Amino acid sequence: MAGDSRIELARARARTAKRAIGLLTAVVFGVAFVGAKVHAPGHAKGKAKSLGAPSSFERAVHRSIAQGGQIAPAVQPPPVSSSTS
Amino acid sequence: MRAMGCDVAVAGGDPATVAAVLERWEDAFSAFRPTSELSRVNASPACVLAVSSFFASTLETALDVAAETDGLVDPTLCGRCGELAVSGRALFRPQGLTLDLNGVVKALAVDEAVSALDGPGFVSVGGDLAVRGPVDVALPAGGAIRVIAGGLATSGTASRGAHLVNPATGRPAESRWEQVTASGATCLAADIAAKAGFILGEDGPAWLDERGIPGRFVAAGGEVVENETWARATQLVQTCT
Repeated sequence: MAGDSRIELARARARTAKRAIGLLTAVVFGVAFVGAKVHAPGHAKGKAKSLGAPSSFERAVHRSIAQGGQIAPAVQPPPVSSSTS
Repeated sequence: MRAMGCDVAVAGGDPATVAAVLERWEDAFSAFRPTSELSRVNASPACVLAVSSFFASTLETALDVAAETDGLVDPTLCGRCGELAVSGRALFRPQGLTLDLNGVVKALAVDEAVSALDGPGFVSVGGDLAVRGPVDVALPAGGAIRVIAGGLATSGTASRGAHLVNPATGRPAESRWEQVTASGATCLAADIAAKAGFILGEDGPAWLDERGIPGRFVAAGGEVVENETWARATQLVQTCT
C-alpha cells in the first residue's frame, strides 16, 4: 500500500509538472507572437501603399497614348531644346 | 543633373523631387542595373512570374502602345508582343522572351515628373520634354516652337546611331529621316509618335497626320519636312492692318 501511495504522489507531481510546462509554453508563444506582430519589420502595421505611379496619372496616360499635343510658333528665345534621345 | 544616361533640365519645381521620380523609374526598369526588376525578369527562366504592380501597369502601357502603333513600338523588339499577357501582377510569356521597355519608360518618367511640379514649368530628359504651361523649345536643324501643352520628343539616329529597332525585322530601323520630332498630348504620346514616324520612313508624315499628331522630319541631308498638322499649328497668323 505504501508503494501505491508513492506512485500516486509521483503521478500527481508529474501532472502538475505537465500543466506547468504547458502553461509556460502558451505564455512564451503568446509573448513571442505579440512581440513579433508589433516589432518585426516584415509585418506591415497599415495598408500597403503601391510603389507605382498614382492611378490618376495612369488613367491620364492611357487616355492619351496617341493624341497630338498643342504647339504654336515660338515667341521668345527657347530655354530648352528637343534633341534625339 | 543627369538621369537615365541623359542630361535633365527642370524648371518650375524642385529638382530633387524630379530626381526622385526619375530614380524610381530607373531603379525598376534600367537594363543596365542587374538588380532592376526588368533585369531580374529578363534573367528568370520562368514563363509565369509575379511582378510588382508598378511593373505590371508599365508593361500594360507598353502593350497598349504596341497595339496603337500596329507593333511599331514593341516591348519585345521582335514582333512577339502578342505572346505576352499581364493579369493583375502575373506576367505570362514564352520561355526566353526578353522585354525592352525603353520605348516607354523614359517618357512615362518625364510625364510623372512634370505632374509633380509645383507650378508652370517643364521637365526635359535627354530632349524628351513635358510641359506645364507654354514653353519655347529649340528644334533639331534649327528653328523653335512653343509647346503649349503636352510633350515634345525627338527620335532618330543623330546622337546614338541606329538604336531604334524595327520589330518587323528585329534589326536597326533604316529610315530616310535622321531625326523626327513629334508633339503629343503627353511626352509618351510624343515619344511613340516620333519613334513610329522614324521607323515608317516616307510614310511617317502621313501616319502622324492621320492621327492628328504634329510631326517634323529632318532628313540626313538636312532637309526639313513638316507634316500638315505641324505646318497648320505653327503657321504664323497674318494680320491685315
